[in-house]
Amino acid sequence: MQCRSIATRIALAAALAAAAGARLNAADDLPKAETILERYIEVTGGRAVYEKTHSEIATGSMEIAGMGIAGKVTLYSAEPNQNLTEIEITGIGKLLEGTDGKVAWSLSAMQGPHLKEGPERSMALREARFNAQLHWRDLYKQAETAGVESVEGQDCYKVVLTPAEGNPVTRYFDKQSGLLVKTAMTVKSPMGDIPVESMESDYRKEGGLLVAHKLVQKAASQQISFTVESVKFNAEIPKDKFEAPEEVKALMKK
Amino acid sequence: MAARLGILLLAMACAAPAAGDRSLTPAQRQLNLDSFDRVWTTVREKYWDPQLGGLDWQAARQELRPKIEAAATMEQAREVLSALLARLRQSHFAIIPAQSYEELDGGGAERQGNPGIDVRMVGGRAMVSAVAPGSPAAARGVRPGWEITGVEGKEIAPAVAAIRESMAGSTMIELLQARSVTARLSGRIGAPVSVSFREGSDRSLALELDRSRPRGTPARLGNLPEMNFWVESRRVRPEIGYIRFNLFFEPETLIRAFREMVTGCGECRGLVIDLRGNPGGIGGLATGVAGWFIGQPGQQLGAMQTRDTRVNFAVFPRPEPFRGPLAILVDACSASTSEIFAEGMKDLGRARIFGTRTAGAALPSVFEKLPNGDGFQYAIASYVSFSGKSLEGAGVIPDEEIGLARRDLLEGRDAVLEAAVSWIEQRKN
Repeated sequence: MQCRSIATRIALAAALAAAAGARLNAADDLPKAETILERYIEVTGGRAVYEKTHSEIATGSMEIAGMGIAGKVTLYSAEPNQNLTEIEITGIGKLLEGTDGKVAWSLSAMQGPHLKEGPERSMALREARFNAQLHWRDLYKQAETAGVESVEGQDCYKVVLTPAEGNPVTRYFDKQSGLLVKTAMTVKSPMGDIPVESMESDYRKEGGLLVAHKLVQKAASQQISFTVESVKFNAEIPKDKFEAPEEVKALMKK
Repeated sequence: MAARLGILLLAMACAAPAAGDRSLTPAQRQLNLDSFDRVWTTVREKYWDPQLGGLDWQAARQELRPKIEAAATMEQAREVLSALLARLRQSHFAIIPAQSYEELDGGGAERQGNPGIDVRMVGGRAMVSAVAPGSPAAARGVRPGWEITGVEGKEIAPAVAAIRESMAGSTMIELLQARSVTARLSGRIGAPVSVSFREGSDRSLALELDRSRPRGTPARLGNLPEMNFWVESRRVRPEIGYIRFNLFFEPETLIRAFREMVTGCGECRGLVIDLRGNPGGIGGLATGVAGWFIGQPGQQLGAMQTRDTRVNFAVFPRPEPFRGPLAILVDACSASTSEIFAEGMKDLGRARIFGTRTAGAALPSVFEKLPNGDGFQYAIASYVSFSGKSLEGAGVIPDEEIGLARRDLLEGRDAVLEAAVSWIEQRKN
């Protein structure tokens, strides 16, 4: 269920950043990260439901706070690790980002085509993993509970996930509900090491799973909000949807 | 992506019609107060240097907040807001009157028009630097090299002198002077403007010129007022391409123009990008355009530093970039994204710069709407080139400095372009 990774994917697409000030409380008897991550799977619908989903199409809108810049977002995802993000921003144009599980790329009206390499590619492939929460052991070499921290007045478990390549991802799970409410990471890209923080909220049931419908991301002194408008699981996605566009293929030939 | 909005509109306030003297209602006064608080807080929280360069921001608030409370008109309120921002002594902090949006949103005859005259400062005098073909000015025989001495019966010289005095030491003087004159020439489409000239033989001449729709197609982005965008390309020699555009705007159109130029001129000896008079636009387009001229991955046109993040202006090379000689033309009215592009390409050794020093107004900024309906432009970051040079207050120094001369304008000669063409031709011979 890739909706929960919308913020991260948009973060990569937008390459924006925001630093998260951390207030870590000393906490005894913290649950293991494994327990928190498994609980998240359960409270959002359960492993069995996740395992019955094989693809997803989500649509929504985005807005940059205060600037009057808005756009439409569509995300296509499929097993095992294919995705395509389409963002159409009024006055700027189209931004595409995707992977077929091997090649990770972006293509924008402004910047043109770009092939991702190194940690940037690794992160794109991790983010593309369908039902990623079921596969965290494959995606991260280490997961540990780092403490309890208040997010928007709610105590949350802070879980740090460390991949084999790239920067760690810190996730905050509400102690009471078990839901993911915040994600913080430093994105490695040609634009630099950019801190990105996203807040997930407005969970609603879609096809048997709880999906965050509101995502607010802070990056580089800017705030972008995303609103999920529709989610379709197991929707048919044309096979060639995840193929790189011609402009990207031209780069691959070089 | 959109965070790297680059920037322009330095003199939008000048272009806007006067607010009038209508006194304010209590509700409007409150909105002005709310706007003051928004501006003050935004700068305190988002200015890239948390110390605000040593400025006592709290003291500025204590001094100016009572003044906006007392402001009897919108114009007075704006003066207070502008005075607050002026204390930062940086470009890209501005208040854009709500009328700018209202006029421009109105469409049709309500929109801003001009007689089709480009203005540059030559030796401290306002000079016609170009006349748009088919424009009202062209129809009345206005020629490049004519000095503009007055508009609507008011002399230009005192206004130009006042800007020189108030901006002493700034690299933006010529830009603001030219903008000031341009703003006087602008007005409602169809409403004529009377202009006094000193023409080629030094004879004084007064003409009433119509104002027509500005060149280009209307374009909008977020809270920026609508602006007209145009791009043109041609060959200045059979084997030398030339491209010019008025803003870094409309990404799809601009990038298509570069694609066509590069693919259609693949065997050209060289290319010329003319950024004279270009005030900037979307910051990300500097790197998007650069990708057509840089083949090596991992290059950047410098970086912007926000309060907590450094964001590189990374260039993604296009599959088939142009690798031949590249000349970039600039002048005192080239600002912001134009400067980032020119300095970045110079820094990388990819282009040679011709013309005069640029405006030195290169801060990535964004636009928000204030509670009172005015626009608020504020910089969110500083900019430094790849080699560590800050352009703010310094500008891009051309490799070949060639100033504008009245005689050249009168003779229809473009010495800057000629120098660029000559350099390209020499590179291959």
